Amino acid sequence: MTAMGTPVAVASSDPWSQALLSSLAPAAGPLEAVQRRGRAGLTHQAMPSRRAEAWRFTDTAVIQAIAPQLLQPAPEALPACGEGVWRLRLDGGEEALADQAWPAGLTPLPGPDLELALGQTLADTGGREHWPVLLNKATAPRVLALRVRGEVAPTLELVSEAGAGPGVLPVRVLLLLEEQARLTVLQVHRSGGANLTSVVVEARLGRGAHLSHGVLAQGHPEAALLAHLAVVQHPDSNFDQVSTAAGWGLVRVEPRVLQSEGSAATSLLGLQAVRGQQLADTHSQVRFGGPDGTLEQGHRAIADGAGRSVFNGAVQVPQAAQRTNASQLSRNLLLSDRARIDTKPELEIVADDVRCAHGATVSRLQQDELFYLQSRGIGVDQAARLLLRGFCAEVLAALPAAAAPWQPLEHLLDQEETGDPEGTGDQEETGR
Amino acid sequence: MIRSDAPILLEIRDLHARVEDQPILRGVNLTLRAGEIHAVMGRNGSGKSTLSKVLAGHPAYTVTSGSVLYRGADLLALEPEQRARIGLFLGFQYPVEIPGVSNLEFLRVATNARRQEQGLEELDTFAFDDLVQERLRVVQMDPAFLERSVNQGFSGGEKKRNEILQMALLEPLVAILDETDSGLDIDALRIVAGGVNQLAGPDTSTLLITHYQRLLDAIVPDFVHVMAAGRILRTGGKDLALELEERGYDWVDAELAQPLAGAEVG
Amino acid sequence: MSSATVGDLVSQPYKYGFITEIETEKIAKGLSEDVVRLISAKKEEPPFLLDFRLRAYRHWLTMQEPDWAALGYPPIDYQELIYYAAPRQQQKKASLDEVDPALLETFEKLGIPLSEQKRLSNVAVDAVFDSVSIATTYKEKLAEDGVIFCSISEAVKEHPELVERYLGTVVPANDNFFAALNSAVFSDGSFVFIPKGVACPMELSTYFRINSGDTGQFERTLIVAEEAATVSYLEGCTAPMFDTNQLHAAVVELVALDDASIKYSTVQNWYAGDENGVGGIYNFVTKRGQCRGARSKISWTQVETGSAITWKYPSCVLQGADSVGEFYSVALTNHRQQADTGTKMIHVGPRTRSTIVSKGISAGHSSNSYRGLVQVGPKAVGARNYSQCDSMLIGDRAAANTYPYIRSQQPDANIEHEASTCRISADQLFYLQSRGIGFEAAVSMMVSGFCRDVFNQLPMEFAAEADKLLSLKLEGSVG
Repeated sequence: MTAMGTPVAVASSDPWSQALLSSLAPAAGPLEAVQRRGRAGLTHQAMPSRRAEAWRFTDTAVIQAIAPQLLQPAPEALPACGEGVWRLRLDGGEEALADQAWPAGLTPLPGPDLELALGQTLADTGGREHWPVLLNKATAPRVLALRVRGEVAPTLELVSEAGAGPGVLPVRVLLLLEEQARLTVLQVHRSGGANLTSVVVEARLGRGAHLSHGVLAQGHPEAALLAHLAVVQHPDSNFDQVSTAAGWGLVRVEPRVLQSEGSAATSLLGLQAVRGQQLADTHSQVRFGGPDGTLEQGHRAIADGAGRSVFNGAVQVPQAAQRTNASQLSRNLLLSDRARIDTKPELEIVADDVRCAHGATVSRLQQDELFYLQSRGIGVDQAARLLLRGFCAEVLAALPAAAAPWQPLEHLLDQEETGDPEGTGDQEETGR
Repeated sequence: MIRSDAPILLEIRDLHARVEDQPILRGVNLTLRAGEIHAVMGRNGSGKSTLSKVLAGHPAYTVTSGSVLYRGADLLALEPEQRARIGLFLGFQYPVEIPGVSNLEFLRVATNARRQEQGLEELDTFAFDDLVQERLRVVQMDPAFLERSVNQGFSGGEKKRNEILQMALLEPLVAILDETDSGLDIDALRIVAGGVNQLAGPDTSTLLITHYQRLLDAIVPDFVHVMAAGRILRTGGKDLALELEERGYDWVDAELAQPLAGAEVG
Repeated sequence: MSSATVGDLVSQPYKYGFITEIETEKIAKGLSEDVVRLISAKKEEPPFLLDFRLRAYRHWLTMQEPDWAALGYPPIDYQELIYYAAPRQQQKKASLDEVDPALLETFEKLGIPLSEQKRLSNVAVDAVFDSVSIATTYKEKLAEDGVIFCSISEAVKEHPELVERYLGTVVPANDNFFAALNSAVFSDGSFVFIPKGVACPMELSTYFRINSGDTGQFERTLIVAEEAATVSYLEGCTAPMFDTNQLHAAVVELVALDDASIKYSTVQNWYAGDENGVGGIYNFVTKRGQCRGARSKISWTQVETGSAITWKYPSCVLQGADSVGEFYSVALTNHRQQADTGTKMIHVGPRTRSTIVSKGISAGHSSNSYRGLVQVGPKAVGARNYSQCDSMLIGDRAAANTYPYIRSQQPDANIEHEASTCRISADQLFYLQSRGIGFEAAVSMMVSGFCRDVFNQLPMEFAAEADKLLSLKLEGSVG
């Protein structure tokens, strides 16, 4: 099987990337070499355009409108963090990562180990030369790199708050879970203005390790989020991801998971909501490198206003991956006649003893469900709100408990309530 | 019904078999004559179900030594379908579901394969419909099940009735019923047992494989065999089953310990 | 029971691989504007058609051969192909008795008797040998009802106004690389016209036979059902065994006006190449139907077992309000075959409905992909789609890929897609065997069961044929 897409014959950069590159200070600091490689990459590879199959429905206009420079974050107040939560801000200066009193089980990776491990997972999952990754490499001044041993009691909360300022905020994380290690991570990405948050997370799970990874992304109509996640799982490990994103002008979430020898369990849950002119795109890829692996993937999208939702879910089951059990379900709510849903599962199977099921639905809220609620005296708006809440709640309930103070449901539903004037118009009409 | 001069239908001699590298049968001897009903009892893992699968020719089991003669001829040399065609029937403990394949079509093809072997004319769809309607009464089964895919979405009891319906259509000489009582409520058990009793006759032989006495209250065996560690440890009349019900299987362990220890020394 | 044993079953020698010895008129190989003009001249075509061909050819020159499906095949040299071949026979004969007996015999061998005494009682057949239609049965009987069933060359001569009105309106000449090529050089194919209010009294069928080894096949089929007309049409395809590849790039256009219904069935058994992938047909076909009228219906049923590479997506453009599109497909691949097939359901009009049922069976080293698009436009209020794509894998070196793509811009539409993957389990086989059903019969029974939802859609006369074809592919020596 040949790779999708054809290599670009004449590689060159684009004006936005060039402007960004020329705004950057010379490569320096602990990631100097990485920065050099990333910057070299960006001079040869342009920002993806819709001519590339994987970006066919993903317009990068929102990024082009963002100032091509590094973001100077202004400290914003955050909600108080819950009990049993150990919070770390990834948007501050270098000093934020040094001299921490780490919870038991977490140790920062020393320089030589970091050099060995950083980028390895990206390479294993095929994302090393991917444009969003190059952008992160070119700009990230530091990396949070942790070794995880045993069961880590507190939830590790990693926050990036881009605020309202202009520019690019890079966030890079590396997690190495040793055998039998257990860790819960909640990543929160927030933005309040025209800026781009660029996230690259690498995680390696040793035998029997368990990583629960929550992502809560609360954006702004002029903000963009590019979140690339590379995971390698060794046998008997568990990786549970719950990712929710709403409010972004452009959000692209790219989880790529490799079960190196199979025999591991992967769960990917996603929820994305768009309205106005927003675009949310999830491109996932799960590959089984050996037998007896499992995947449970559920992706949900809500598209209102003139929003666009894209889901592309690749599942690769090569010959070695006998007895794989994979399921994938894409459920989409289309709430406006100017919104659009694109959903495309991609199953590639070369093993006969496997169970792979997938499904997709696109519809508005179920009329019979609405009617049932109405017949119990609930107004149509409220009934719709209740059903939407239910649609979201099933995913949100799977987020780590640490997500509660961020009010994920309220944020999602607020997105549904305000924002698009036409949407409000509909409601007035029904109110009469 | 025991007649010592009745013809021998099935003769198992010193049968050894394994699955993958695990020996399961370690020298089974058993003779079934026409008209007889035999029960094989024993704990889980004693080799009862393996015996039934080996007799039916399941490819996962390998016979390592011994022989099985069916009406005097080598049974083990035959493909599973050939064994069925000449009159050996296995009622499965867990009948498999086969989506897409119509139950009625399946029953007709199987019946005609058996009839062809017997030198009888093949039944066309109309003649077969008549036959199947008649045989449905044996198991009091709803004809609606004929329209479905083989065993698909059937309850445990419906699957077992479908097994006995197949037995009624194929008219085997030797019927092996593997845990036919498992998963049945008392009414279903009565219907299934009634079916088996109707189909047993002076020219056929039945081998019941079971855990519990309750099936043997409904189908009374002429011989009861106790199986353990891949061999038949003891043979008796129907009273042996009652004894097992009363005393449990613990005595089997005690009895087993001795000859096995002896065997190891020798 | 290892699945390798099941795999052995799928190796049945191709039964239609013989070559008919007959004198053939061929033009020199290669493609140019002169060749296009020559084809048009040989067929004595009116100016509008020559014009259509030339526009297509000029457009084709500007196009790139597509490569997005990631199919692996060596580049085709379009200058090495012959674009016109016909059995040497002056005119199409008025009576079958005058047709070359070698040709009649060929079709008889293929199970398609054409002669008065033997032909199928309720099926009218158009037999196409290489690029030319050699006989059409029951023409007169059909004419009594106003039904036109003839080769497209005859239609161009006898009903030029109909051809001009509809040709290229569903699949424009510049639609894609292979459609443009076909539009430039198409040789023959079938034409069907069912006038207003007429239910076609019998099944119509075209039987395509490639005979020449170095000839490209470019049939063009056009079916028009006027208001409230109904028709059921079936095509069958075979070719001799050559160790080179032949290109088959057909275009099929269907037009259904208000309340009309067209059922189009295909049993495709082109030569698939040998077990090492040498030879076989490249089947790059554009098939599209347009439900122009309200409440019209177009239903595609296909059984794809042949060809080295199949690349086709019979599609429905659902324009008319309440129109219905259906796609039922069985694709069986073995050895080194590659099939990339599926459908596009384009919902344009309100309350349009579509159903997709696809069953892929892959064995050997073959690759079997379902690629589909369900697109619901902003005006398709109340549209509905249900899709089901199931794959069955035989052996662990075959690939089954599923790329169902959904795009919706209409909130008041319901789209549902389901897919599953299965194999024939050893336990299921043993169960059937233990009831006296032989190994081959058991496999065949389960494959038929898997495909039943699709076979049920075939016209009665051909359902049995399709089942038999699949069994043939599955028959063979058991190890």
